[in-house]
Amino acid sequence: MTLPDTIEAAATALRAGEVTSVELTEEALRKIEAMNDDVGAFIAVSERAMEQAARADAGLAAGVDRGPLQGIPFGLKDILATKDQPSTANSLVLDPAWGDGYDAVVSERVRAAGAVIMGKLVLSEFALGPPDEEKPFPIPRNPWALDRTPGGSSSGTGIAVSTGMVLGGLGTDTGGSVRFPAAYCGHTGLKVTYGRVPKWGCVPLGYSLDSIGPMARSAYDCAAILDVIAGPDARDVTASTAPGEDYLGGIDRSVEGLTIGVPRAYFFDHEQLDSEMQAATEAVIAALADLGARIVEIELPHSDLAKEANTLTMVSEAFAYHRTDMASERWTDYGAKTRMIIARGAFYSAADYVQAQRFRSWYAKAAASVMAEVDALITPTIIEPAALSAENDLAKRLTQPSYTGPFNLLGYPALALPSGFSSDLGLPLSAQIVGAPMSEALLLRIGHAYQQQTDWHLQYPTGVLEGSVA
Amino acid sequence: MPVPENVEAAVRGMVDAAGLPVSEEEFDSFVAMYPTLREAADGLYIEDVRYEEPALIFTPVAPTPAAVKE
Repeated sequence: MTLPDTIEAAATALRAGEVTSVELTEEALRKIEAMNDDVGAFIAVSERAMEQAARADAGLAAGVDRGPLQGIPFGLKDILATKDQPSTANSLVLDPAWGDGYDAVVSERVRAAGAVIMGKLVLSEFALGPPDEEKPFPIPRNPWALDRTPGGSSSGTGIAVSTGMVLGGLGTDTGGSVRFPAAYCGHTGLKVTYGRVPKWGCVPLGYSLDSIGPMARSAYDCAAILDVIAGPDARDVTASTAPGEDYLGGIDRSVEGLTIGVPRAYFFDHEQLDSEMQAATEAVIAALADLGARIVEIELPHSDLAKEANTLTMVSEAFAYHRTDMASERWTDYGAKTRMIIARGAFYSAADYVQAQRFRSWYAKAAASVMAEVDALITPTIIEPAALSAENDLAKRLTQPSYTGPFNLLGYPALALPSGFSSDLGLPLSAQIVGAPMSEALLLRIGHAYQQQTDWHLQYPTGVLEGSVA
Repeated sequence: MPVPENVEAAVRGMVDAAGLPVSEEEFDSFVAMYPTLREAADGLYIEDVRYEEPALIFTPVAPTPAAVKE
């Protein structure tokens, strides 16, 4: 029997009696057993998954329907507190008492929605540091090519969704950490508006930039997850007080008449942008035009500096959190590259940090002027397909453009969508739809419209991993 | 704040001030990286930003325990 491999299909099948949560969860566990040693998605698998699945089935049988996540195999980045499993942030440094015995707001919400929490997923150390073979954590590998990066920092969630170990999961995004693994692993990921989803119970990286967002095969599935996790919570003072919206409710609406802005400078003309990535994004633009969207060229000035301001802000805020541990014998408990990245915060002055926030104000005004003329923007998500993991060069990364970081600086929502595959190695390509604050429903609607015309998001990395076929 | 002539001394001063127990190899990496970091930070001091207020958020009304669910 072929099991449904999207939340949308599984939710329908569960309610039609065509499949049970127990069957979906058994299949997810089979895939984890078959592939996790090769791809390094899970840090810890929940021993209570089957129990949760049985409870979801019993609920549905009794007419208790908690919505589309009920009975769905689901994963949480191991930076989110869970009351029944320890949290590590993929680091030896995090105090084991952190997160002990309680749920993050988002963990609490997906649990209440009846999701089957399969376990805790690998990430870049503290959502920033690349994998370190010397540390006792799984090394995440791209399921499309095991010698390539799956992207970070929500690498485990990206891999688990891509291989079908889970049908959906949560990541966090401070400079691109939901969108990178979604892009490199070939599925959909939504970086939400800053404050849209409460962060209480999440280990911080960059306080003024962090967001928690859905990762799943499709925009539809991301909407189903956002329906559950969005909305205020008093424990997070940065969370918006605006209630969540019905993200699935209007997802089928047409994109006809919407105006999509294309920022050519920097986002399309950079010398380091891969030509196939650019062409795939142009194809998404053409598809949206065919669906009736109006395409206009716009300018988002100083976006190169926005990347720098985002990095400076993130590293400075992270260093404030980590300095006490770093200036101690715990220095080498951090991964070799993690400590080199976070410690950059020691080289910026307080004035530099404030200047980055002054730039942020200016850039926010510039972006608001652009958004007054368009409904959304489109860019590539990443500059090139997944690189070889062995070529992860920190110095090189400093000089690469970022198409994600500027939108963390702005706090804007951004949706990463699969847009094809590279011609040589068959690696996923990705385009990004960006909107004004709190426009997630619109972005998901645009993504869903595009995904009704294409099936890039439904492809599995078959041929590389035995057992990855649904 | 231009890149100092003696990058090594500047980096040594900042590493020591932060109390980071770096190895010599790590120190050399920071020395190599520092000019790029400095130029990126300096690049944010542009004329367009001259009269901007920083995007810092502070509220004098601290959250009360009653507002915090346990």
